[in-house]
Amino acid sequence: MNTETEAGTTDRGTTAPSSSINPESVRTVAKKDFQDSVRSWLFWGLSVFFFTLLVATTGAVSYFGEDLAAQGATTDVLVGFVSEITRLVIPLIALVLGWKAIAGERESGSIKILLSLPHSRKDVLLGKLLGRSAVLSLSLTLGFVLAAAVVAALLGGFDVVDYVGLLAVSIVYGIAYTSIAVSLSSLTRSTTIAGAAMFGVFVLFYVVWNTLSDMFMLLAERDVLFFDTVTATTEFDGEEVAIERLPEWAYFIVNLDPGEAYGRVLTLVTDVDTIELQAELDAELFGGELPFFLQDWFALLILVFWVVVPIAVALYRFDRVDL
Amino acid sequence: MPAITVDGLTKSYGETLALEDLSFQVEDGEVFGFLGPNGAGKSTTINVLLDFVRPTAGRVEVLGLDAQTHSREIRSRTGVLPEGYRTYDRLTARQHLEFAIDSKGVDDDPERLLERVDLADAIDKKAGGYSKGMAQRLMLAMALVGEPDLLILDEPSTGLDPNGAREMREIVREESERGATVFFSSHIMEQVEAVCDRVGILRDGEMVAVDSVAGLRESVSDGTVLRVTVDRLDEDAIGSVRSLPDVSEVLVEEETPPTLAIRVEGSKTDVLAALEDQGLEVRDFSTSEASLEDVFQSYTTEVDAR
Repeated sequence: MNTETEAGTTDRGTTAPSSSINPESVRTVAKKDFQDSVRSWLFWGLSVFFFTLLVATTGAVSYFGEDLAAQGATTDVLVGFVSEITRLVIPLIALVLGWKAIAGERESGSIKILLSLPHSRKDVLLGKLLGRSAVLSLSLTLGFVLAAAVVAALLGGFDVVDYVGLLAVSIVYGIAYTSIAVSLSSLTRSTTIAGAAMFGVFVLFYVVWNTLSDMFMLLAERDVLFFDTVTATTEFDGEEVAIERLPEWAYFIVNLDPGEAYGRVLTLVTDVDTIELQAELDAELFGGELPFFLQDWFALLILVFWVVVPIAVALYRFDRVDL
Repeated sequence: MPAITVDGLTKSYGETLALEDLSFQVEDGEVFGFLGPNGAGKSTTINVLLDFVRPTAGRVEVLGLDAQTHSREIRSRTGVLPEGYRTYDRLTARQHLEFAIDSKGVDDDPERLLERVDLADAIDKKAGGYSKGMAQRLMLAMALVGEPDLLILDEPSTGLDPNGAREMREIVREESERGATVFFSSHIMEQVEAVCDRVGILRDGEMVAVDSVAGLRESVSDGTVLRVTVDRLDEDAIGSVRSLPDVSEVLVEEETPPTLAIRVEGSKTDVLAALEDQGLEVRDFSTSEASLEDVFQSYTTEVDAR
């Protein structure tokens, strides 16, 4: 009954050829995933929390900030405020929305339904990313429109272009975190591990990265290891002023944070003084000319990097595992 | 061209060897029962056919295509009822079927498919509220989408009541008549007996027998078992029966009432005559063929030292 082991046995180990991508298939998976996750209560709970926060804050700003309105600066303040909230909340929503994307399906076995049908594993990953990004975008758009309606009702109008710019960048920012979440979710079969990974990402970017700058400075002042400060001279009120700052590579690392990039990209699409001011201050540190990696267009690249790289790693690896 | 060719398939998970040098073929158009106790490696085999897991060694072809390099094409022509799946709780039966229909790029009618599996009433109910049996019917309907050339059904009777299991077998028959090949796994012999052309029995990751149901029965039953109830037990009498040329085995099955189990190839009357010659009174006797369950048992449990 058994044929000889040698003949006809091609041992290719556990490696497998990489699967193909079929756009039609990706669309089908995305549509199903959208239908499925748009019905998640946890997601909408978080979104409602986010809307409420957004609407309450923007309402408060536009109601109490009548002086600002008079100066025509309301949209600036509004965008500034909103972006601070969204910078913190969007990653949270994206991570919650994405953490079970693949791990959950592998744990429960529903991925067998997906992959019994003619979809490749790459189709599934991309479909998931697309579907969840669509759900997140829907939620953000709803939240922004609601907040805008409240503000418009109170103020009778504001700068729509800035606001739409903020929404657009927020969506890209959200997709970056969705990509991180979906990709991490594909690396494990356990939702517990996936959840821990999401928490890790949260801690990494909210806690670790946010203190990096201070930490580098602390180390640099004490000349620990290779840490050192650079003295930059700049003109201030007609006088030469020397400022201690970190070397450029430290700025580069600090700026890899998607949240940091989000803030910088906003200068590209909006015209908000507070954000512009920050950029100018930074420029002073570098003698008036920002290094390329601190410029707006590079921040956009960083955001795109966070969309592309996690999913690319996942696409490569997910093809090579046993489900 | 065979519908499935498995050649020298070995799969190990770390230290654990799930399949060892497994080889078999499923012919085009046949209903093949893939039988084995739980943990024998049935699901692992099916997972390799569908490229859910990758073989450690060996070659697997489905519909004449390599199971790994052409998995998408294979799955576009295959309907699958997987084992250990979970439906999408928040989606209705209709949405599940629309997803399968879209995925396969066909235009089947969800309602008609659900009628076939007797689930049309629940078409717009969310699958989260389904019983195991209803979920199983939904999955069977999804497997039927697009008139697949091959149906892979992994433990399809799980969660079905006897009536549901009968309907499921009916569908297997219809699909087979349409020309589809059916690969049907189960750990219960009687479920495959009624529908399968051939049966393969898997034990500890190895195929221990492949044959028609009748052939399997024949290979196991070396004769008929004759049970004789007598008035008393007598060593000499047992000895003389044992010495008959057609008798291969004599066991004392019970003491009260004294009953002998005699495996006999030829004439049963010779046996009875021999007993009576020794002065025993035959009070009752019966004969039995090896049951299918016996066949299965004999292949899937270690040979016991009788």
